[in-house]
Amino acid sequence: MPGAESLLRGVSVLEGALAEVAERLRRITVQVRAGGQRAGAGVVWLRRGVVVTNAHVAAAPRAEIVTADGRTFTARVTGRDPRRDLAVLAVAADALEPALRTDARGLRAGELLVALGHPLGVANAAALGVVHRAPTGEPGPGGWLHADIRLAPGNSGGPLADAAGRVAGINAMIAGGLGIAVPTHVIEQFVHEVLTGGGGARAA
Amino acid sequence: MPAASNDGLLATLSNDLAAAVDAAGRSVVAIHARRRIPASGVVWQSGIVVASHHTIQRDEDLSVTLHDGTTVPATLVGRDASTDLAVLRLADASPATPPPAAFTTDAPRVGQLVLALGRPGTAITASLGIVSAVGTEWRTWQGGTIDRFVRLDLSVYDGFSGGPLVDATGRVAGINTSGLARAVALTVPASTVARVAGQLLERGHVARGWLGIATQPVRLPPGLQRSAGTDAGVGLVVVNVEPDSPADRGGVLIGDILLALDDRPLSDPGDVVAALGADRIGQPVALRVARGGRAERLAVTVGERPRARR
Repeated sequence: MPGAESLLRGVSVLEGALAEVAERLRRITVQVRAGGQRAGAGVVWLRRGVVVTNAHVAAAPRAEIVTADGRTFTARVTGRDPRRDLAVLAVAADALEPALRTDARGLRAGELLVALGHPLGVANAAALGVVHRAPTGEPGPGGWLHADIRLAPGNSGGPLADAAGRVAGINAMIAGGLGIAVPTHVIEQFVHEVLTGGGGARAA
Repeated sequence: MPAASNDGLLATLSNDLAAAVDAAGRSVVAIHARRRIPASGVVWQSGIVVASHHTIQRDEDLSVTLHDGTTVPATLVGRDASTDLAVLRLADASPATPPPAAFTTDAPRVGQLVLALGRPGTAITASLGIVSAVGTEWRTWQGGTIDRFVRLDLSVYDGFSGGPLVDATGRVAGINTSGLARAVALTVPASTVARVAGQLLERGHVARGWLGIATQPVRLPPGLQRSAGTDAGVGLVVVNVEPDSPADRGGVLIGDILLALDDRPLSDPGDVVAALGADRIGQPVALRVARGGRAERLAVTVGERPRARR
């Protein structure tokens, strides 16, 4: 295989590539603070001010959001589902850079993943790992994206992306040392429900 | 740096890793032999699976889930606690016998990228890390010889024991286990797996030399050192001799202090175990002992450790 061994001789190139993915993720990641909790993260889903995070991060009707360019907004929680651990936030901003997405069900074990978040209060910290087990698309514990990656509280709601920086899920919890993320197709479904009135008020 | 080339680089590396998982993962199976979640195993030869001894908690009613999701019955060929390895045979009726893994006996290098694979269920699972330390041959606490010390810096999850350590090209470098050291993942190298699996397939167990004694270290006072003609500070006092064992027949008595075996000094009970490989069975060894304050030499013919003692 021409792959890994020769590539690793160019460690600085690799680092550059990783830095680029981390920067791409930084631009689509926000800080979310609600109900006096430690800040979690969120992902800009739609340009017109739709942000996705975990239900356990958006634990109050309103949340304070800090975007990648440093602006602070008050967001409304327009949909919240503790079972899927998802929440949709509406922000009065219309030119946010949205996340590129990929379907986590197409991931293969061993593929590289990059997470971005604010673990233990450190803003925009990146982590590198691999797909431990891709989601099956069926309900139950197999429906989550399992990642071999080192996460901490504060990563919640932040992006978990593939090697091209496309978001495959948002980090929701740590179980048995594994990072567990809600996969993109579940988020798409939830956002659709919320925006069409199924999960609460319409997003602004 | 241009975005396109960097994207390509990470994507290539990512694809290579996934391809390595895919290639080796076909040979990784789930072993159902305990109450908790299944453990992992690797198809070693056609129809033969290698797994971790400690994950196989029963000798019968075993089954194995293959890469295609089918579950087939399996029988235990043999197990060796000293290297934490076991060998299973898939039932002949296996509908889709998975291919044996491709192995490498190249020495791993510190810093090398490696993947640990497992199949604790139907899906293949992976973690990525590096080889953190490589050393020479070592002996496990149960007396097994591992050809090379390989310590990993990667996370191992429930059900990983028995799964393969895989290099970036998808070749299997050994079998991972959490059963040989506390709180750290070690790899039993492919060469050790081949040796032990070969013996298990041939005999159903790993033969080990046996004298039939229990010993413990004891400090030798200067007077005894002088009278026994040794400058060693420590010997091994014999605290038990099995009736009709090789040691019994060779005249070893409780209270004898072992000083040397074939002129190699003894200071730890493990030294005796290490000197009694399968190749010594049936051969005489010379024991130098201190008895009643004087040195004596005894000739003992090494026996084979009885199976019940394993």
